[in-house]
Amino acid sequence: MRERVAITGIGVVTPIGVGRAEFMAALREGRSGAGPITAFDCEGFDTRIAAEVDDTHFDAGAYVEPRKMVKHMSRSARFAVAAAAMARRDSALASGDADPYRIAVSLGAGGMGPVDLDLLAAQATAAIISARGSDSDDLDVPAFARVFRERTNPITMLRGLPNLAAAHVAIQQDARGPNNTITTACSAGTQAIGEGMRAIQRGDADVVLAGGTDAMINPVGVLGFSMLGTLSRRNDQPARASRPFDVERDGFVIGEGAAMLVLERESCARARGARVFAELAGYGCTCDAYRITDERPDAEAAVRAMQRCLEDAGLTPADVAYINAHGTGTQMNDATETRAVKALFGRPDRIPPMSSTKSMIGHLLAAAGAVELAATVLALYAGFLPPTINYDSPDPACDLDCVPNTARAARADTALSNSFGFGGQNACLVIRRW
Amino acid sequence: MSGDSSVVEGRSLLEAVRGIVADVLMVPRDSVHADSALVADLGAESIDFLDLTFRLEEILGKKIPTARWDAFVTERLPGADLSRAITTAVVVEFAERERDRAAGTAPAST
Repeated sequence: MRERVAITGIGVVTPIGVGRAEFMAALREGRSGAGPITAFDCEGFDTRIAAEVDDTHFDAGAYVEPRKMVKHMSRSARFAVAAAAMARRDSALASGDADPYRIAVSLGAGGMGPVDLDLLAAQATAAIISARGSDSDDLDVPAFARVFRERTNPITMLRGLPNLAAAHVAIQQDARGPNNTITTACSAGTQAIGEGMRAIQRGDADVVLAGGTDAMINPVGVLGFSMLGTLSRRNDQPARASRPFDVERDGFVIGEGAAMLVLERESCARARGARVFAELAGYGCTCDAYRITDERPDAEAAVRAMQRCLEDAGLTPADVAYINAHGTGTQMNDATETRAVKALFGRPDRIPPMSSTKSMIGHLLAAAGAVELAATVLALYAGFLPPTINYDSPDPACDLDCVPNTARAARADTALSNSFGFGGQNACLVIRRW
Repeated sequence: MSGDSSVVEGRSLLEAVRGIVADVLMVPRDSVHADSALVADLGAESIDFLDLTFRLEEILGKKIPTARWDAFVTERLPGADLSRAITTAVVVEFAERERDRAAGTAPAST
């Protein structure tokens, strides 16, 4: 029999709290992290709201040694490094407790477009200057290159590499084992944790720092998702904008942040008497192989991902007491996910409560699955079900118990967390009381 | 870029370089001395020298071709342990050389 995988540390940087205590309190209270965008001037944007990490409350430098490493990190790398440091501290895994070559990193990351405003500014400035006096949309590349070279600090280029966040986590944590980055958009955090568990199961590592990070609240990120029609435009009520399963839902609220978990081989955790939050019991993933953003109407691939996840853990749907939904708050996702869950459980009376913590946290994209698994673990550990806030008007297409508006005290022994990404990648994790 | 007004001289160049080194390595300015080794004492790595050169360009008001720093180090410190040999004073020397180039006393070849 294969060894179990324990979750022994949790670190989060989210719009509703930095550190697991603050994060869990917000989940219990049903607090929204959304507000008007402060990161840049968004005048004229269709969507002017987001769930930002409060920079007056978060200093990446406090988690980084030497301090100058901070300037080499993109915003998403800073979130990941801070979350990993918190998770490591939370786990109390000391430097002598594990061979550095047996500590791995598995990270969901990699957004769309330029990673930081300064790089975007350099590219845009160069493009504008080099296009001056020309009616053509074509870029004058030699002119662009001259301006770009002159104005861009070379070190900003390194911040754009999607694998660098995981490298920074490794540098800070002296994690010299396998170091992987998964870039499956909204499924990335979930897959990174699942693949991290596999690294332990196949013998490549004893400890894995696993999770996801993202920071796409920049002009290109917000415009991009907005132009795709996926973002809520409820600009006058930011805290009410993310409303999964509500009939009036009009898209997701883009968020940013990171969550990192310490995954640990059972024997390793036991040998050092570690506190265990939960067992990471199973993982399943599939791909729709259908359309780019449309989901299979029958949700078959999503159902199969959940089935594989439960089979991997030796469980059946009847064992599941709570589901943390992907629940983005788009019309299509929530209806399809509801159909998928109905198909998995067969009979309506067998379907457990399924809430969407995105209603509070926003959609953290590549970090979403990790932050949501962290929420699920904390809820199971502390004995409550996190609510779906902003649930006012039922939608017949989403007629499940979504734990509306207030958290519910409940002892769940087994919980499932879903993520479904653009591109059709479906990933599920199941946790079990230790 | 021609930046005669931003060309820095003498002692103020040392002070300017100390400030840049402190900014680049995010260390307190008073920990940066003329004989501080950037790598061994202050924690620099190779890409920090790209940042350093970029910031020197700003105070000298002149583009410094990427290869120039490496060429300077090879010529000035042959066979040395660079982790110890590259000091703030060496960066000042490089900045002086580039400044004089900017002032037209050395050919501004790339």
